[in-house]
Amino acid sequence: MSANELIANLDKLGDEFLSVIQPLSDEQAIRAAQAQFLGKKGKVSEVMKELSKLPPADRPLVGAAVNKVKQTIEEQVCRRLGELTALAAKADLARVVDVTLPARPVPQGHLHLLTQVRLEAVQIFSELGFVVADGPQIETDWHTFEALAIPKDHPARDMQDTFYLSEEIVLRTHTSPVQVRTMLTQAPPIRIVAPGHVYRRDDDPTHSPMFTQIEGLAVDEGLSFADLKGVLIHFVSRFFQKELTVRLRPSYFPFVEPGAEVDMQCSFCGGSGCRLCKGTGWVEIGGAGVVDPDVFAHCKIDSEKYTGFAFGMGLERMAMLRHGVNDIKFYYEGDVRFLEQF
Amino acid sequence: MKVLWSWLLELCDLDKQPTVEEGAKALTRGGLEIEGMTDLGAGFSGVVVAEVVGRKPHPQAEKLTLVDVITEKGGAATQVVCGAPNVPDPGRKVLWAQIGATLPGGMTLAAKPVKGIVSPGMLCAEDELGLGDDHGGIIVLPEDDRTALGAKAQVALGLDDWMLEVNAPANRGDVLGHLGVARELVAMLRGKIVLPDVDLSAFVGGDGAVPMVDIANAASCPRYTARLITKLQVRPSPQRIAQRLRGVGVRPISNLVDVTNYVMFELGQPLHAFDAETLSAGTVRISHAADGEKFTTLDKIHRTLIPGDLVIRDGEKGIALAGVMGGLDTEVTDKTTRVLLESASFQPLLIRRTARRLGLHSEASHRFERGVDPELAQLASDRAARLMCQHGGGEIASRLVDAYPQKRTSPTLTVRMARVRMVGGVPLETSTCRDALERLGFTVGGSGEVLDVTPPSARADVAREVDVIEEILRVVGYEQVPSSLPILRQAPGNRPADRADVVRKALAAAGLSEAITYGFQSVERNGALGLPGSDRRSQPIAVRNPMSIDQAVMRTSLLPNLIAAVTRNASHGRHDVAICEVGSVFLRRGEGSVDRPLHELADEPTWCAGVLSGKRGGQLGAGTAWDAFDAKGYAQIAIRAVAGDVEIKTRATQSVPCFHPGVAGELVVGGHVVGWFGEVHPEVRRRLGVEAPVFAFDLDLTRLRLMDPAQMRSIPRFPGSTRDVSLLLAASMPASRIEEVIAAVGEPLVNQVRLLEDYRDPKLGEGMKSMLWSILYRSPERTLTDVEVDKAHEAIVGRLMENLPAQRR
Repeated sequence: MSANELIANLDKLGDEFLSVIQPLSDEQAIRAAQAQFLGKKGKVSEVMKELSKLPPADRPLVGAAVNKVKQTIEEQVCRRLGELTALAAKADLARVVDVTLPARPVPQGHLHLLTQVRLEAVQIFSELGFVVADGPQIETDWHTFEALAIPKDHPARDMQDTFYLSEEIVLRTHTSPVQVRTMLTQAPPIRIVAPGHVYRRDDDPTHSPMFTQIEGLAVDEGLSFADLKGVLIHFVSRFFQKELTVRLRPSYFPFVEPGAEVDMQCSFCGGSGCRLCKGTGWVEIGGAGVVDPDVFAHCKIDSEKYTGFAFGMGLERMAMLRHGVNDIKFYYEGDVRFLEQF
Repeated sequence: MKVLWSWLLELCDLDKQPTVEEGAKALTRGGLEIEGMTDLGAGFSGVVVAEVVGRKPHPQAEKLTLVDVITEKGGAATQVVCGAPNVPDPGRKVLWAQIGATLPGGMTLAAKPVKGIVSPGMLCAEDELGLGDDHGGIIVLPEDDRTALGAKAQVALGLDDWMLEVNAPANRGDVLGHLGVARELVAMLRGKIVLPDVDLSAFVGGDGAVPMVDIANAASCPRYTARLITKLQVRPSPQRIAQRLRGVGVRPISNLVDVTNYVMFELGQPLHAFDAETLSAGTVRISHAADGEKFTTLDKIHRTLIPGDLVIRDGEKGIALAGVMGGLDTEVTDKTTRVLLESASFQPLLIRRTARRLGLHSEASHRFERGVDPELAQLASDRAARLMCQHGGGEIASRLVDAYPQKRTSPTLTVRMARVRMVGGVPLETSTCRDALERLGFTVGGSGEVLDVTPPSARADVAREVDVIEEILRVVGYEQVPSSLPILRQAPGNRPADRADVVRKALAAAGLSEAITYGFQSVERNGALGLPGSDRRSQPIAVRNPMSIDQAVMRTSLLPNLIAAVTRNASHGRHDVAICEVGSVFLRRGEGSVDRPLHELADEPTWCAGVLSGKRGGQLGAGTAWDAFDAKGYAQIAIRAVAGDVEIKTRATQSVPCFHPGVAGELVVGGHVVGWFGEVHPEVRRRLGVEAPVFAFDLDLTRLRLMDPAQMRSIPRFPGSTRDVSLLLAASMPASRIEEVIAAVGEPLVNQVRLLEDYRDPKLGEGMKSMLWSILYRSPERTLTDVEVDKAHEAIVGRLMENLPAQRR
């Protein structure tokens, strides 16, 4: 064959390859076709064998044609593969799934609302330097009452109806014995919060025989009633996530003097009066006061040098106010319809 | 305690007359919380005072009367039909419920024909106005009633008033009478006290026999006064006294008894009136009871006394349980004409103990328990004597006999202004403090930076400087105290993370919902686990005074409440439950049984338990049933949350009675059993009411060492190689045994051992099973060659076949 014929054949091979791969739709078949043309025994190689028979002067011309057809074929392979990839991508994007089918449930656990509230309260007080302390729920009468200036047969005992386990051992009626335990073992400065279960003989929609208090105690030089107020305002504002003020109302708790009931500006109406606060604009959240010198005396702390303040709040109440829980029973029944809400 | 607004106002002269709301607010602000306010006249409306001007029988009915009434002098009369037998003569006043009047119970009156004659409303009886039970006749106002015609009936009935409920603090015995509350009002609103009329000059009669008073122990009875009043006549109390007593919740009885109550409510001093005819000894003695002494109180109950009880005696004979209740024999009756009036004070503790021991809580004991000022005794006696004479026609036959061995003197307290400012956190002027205290009736001496403060005798609760500081602050107003934040000053040594919270968070993150259940439970529920008697947990601590049998003993395990919660959820139709609890259980220290009282604190270890019942949710349809391996998985999460990445071994156990004997494992960490998991024993769950299988875990978290902060392990830089081995084994061979054998080889290249298949098929042969294990080999230093890996693997397989025994498949 002449050089021209060879060149014509090579051009034809180029066209032929195009027609071979165009219908092919997978990469493997295209690579096989490519081998048929460009492989050792491929059609282009067959042509190349003729090259040696050509006069040397013609060879470069034909050689160039060979390279050209090789290049063409490779380009075509590339192009076709590119086309196929694009097609596949397009086809993939054509998939439609009914996304309104329900989700596959991922195991979803819930911390108890009271745990969440407790952790949050502790977190807020920790910002002011309070650390967690705890004590037993089964307590001595001495730690629960006597050391807190509530002697036996004192009318103040009527304020908290107590579960007795024996003459001297009680279920603690408040977390305040943790104050005593802390002061007996730790020298001032003291800043503790003590969350925990407490027990009183009381059972109605707002009282449960077991409930949860958080107690705070700070003992240091120069602490005042004003500091108590500031700490409580900080707490309610952070906990309810709005600027709320606190009203202290004179009251009597034997272990604090001056003592106070703590009212919070109603978180629901902001103080303008609503059903929650019975129209008063205030809701009662706990008791507080300056630590009574008699308590310091029981705990061997010098009440001339140190002053302190203490406060106690019910966590159920805080959660009720913030989350609208309307019966204290829900907290303790293990009803998953309640537990899973928070 | 209930107080009447009109009564309070009568006892004080305020600078500016407050409304009842203002008064209540001022008292609350000062620390006497007003818990409730009741408009005494709110029960009815549209009832007016009318004068009877004529009456004639109803033509159709014998028992009915046609009554002409007027509501203004000279006004036109209206004819009202009345069925009462006591229609008064013309000139007397009755209460006419006019058309449109509303009565208790919600009835609204309309014109209504009665036997053919239309009656515009009706004349009211007591019960119709909700004032009592009397339906014997209509209310006829006393002849001397001065209420204007046409006025609201409330005015005539003393119901044009408010009743305030005072929440008196336990240390404020002094506010258990109107006078004390009035003192608070005066302090808060400024003004002065107006003492009630105690002028006896008009009633002093001839000398009667003056009784002697002999106090055996002055500590028990600081003061005892007695006075004889004679020529009395028992009759109903005047309207005003009766109305006020009703207003504070006391039923009027007769003038003599009512006066003692009236004065108690007015001044806070309980009084007792003995029928002097029944006394013979001429000496009133106050002494403690003999052990076993018998005494009959006026409620006709025979009581046995102990030496702690204080007794008032006529000579030797007991006539009253001091401060608590009088005796039956000396009670004032309808026939009483001579009264010995007691006005005394007793040691609060004695009265409280006696009242509590006998379950006898009276208005008197309530006050004596909280302390009655001995200085009040004479004022109260005079007041009561005056009222008795005024309303009972009597005369005072003897001077007041006053045994007052040691006059109460109030301490003078040194109050440092610097301390006031420091404790209060508010920069108060001396003059402000002085003013506050004087408003409370305190005597203030000294000047400048140190005050000498003497509280009035009624305020025995003020005994220290700090008590005075509170008084100053509450009069000034707690709202005057600014708010400040204390400087952050923390003792070193913050507490490490609490293991209970760590576990709660881990289990919630893994899909369990946290429950919190009561610390106490019923004996039956505690016993449901079927633990042997030797187990500490089967000897729970009993509550001595539970509110119900469901709260009889302290829990010793978390499981019963949690399993019972499954029942509770099932009863609501929720059968799929996956909950956990982390909390204290309560165990006796040392020996003891449920019947033995507790003499020391309990152990309160923190446990963690979880129960799984029903299914875990699937995307569509049924979901997958929980099983024991879920329980095991959660148990491992809880353990690792506390103890870190420790090795947890599992051993099958049949010795935990609350679990199914074939589906229970104990979890071992560091050689100690830390808890169990498995299927709850079918009998146990049935005892607690659950039909479906329940899987559970139960861990003693206090047995786990709280991990130190986790340290990072290096991430492998070289790939590992996996080799699998399929073994034919006896079906009873536990997986843990294979792990043990592999571990025992001690091949350092073994990085991970996983069980891929636990296959049971009869074709494998009787009692046989097949297991497919996969072992990952890796070196931290280099990529392993196939030859090295194969060599290590063959050594392990060889050991397995030799030790188990096992065959390779």
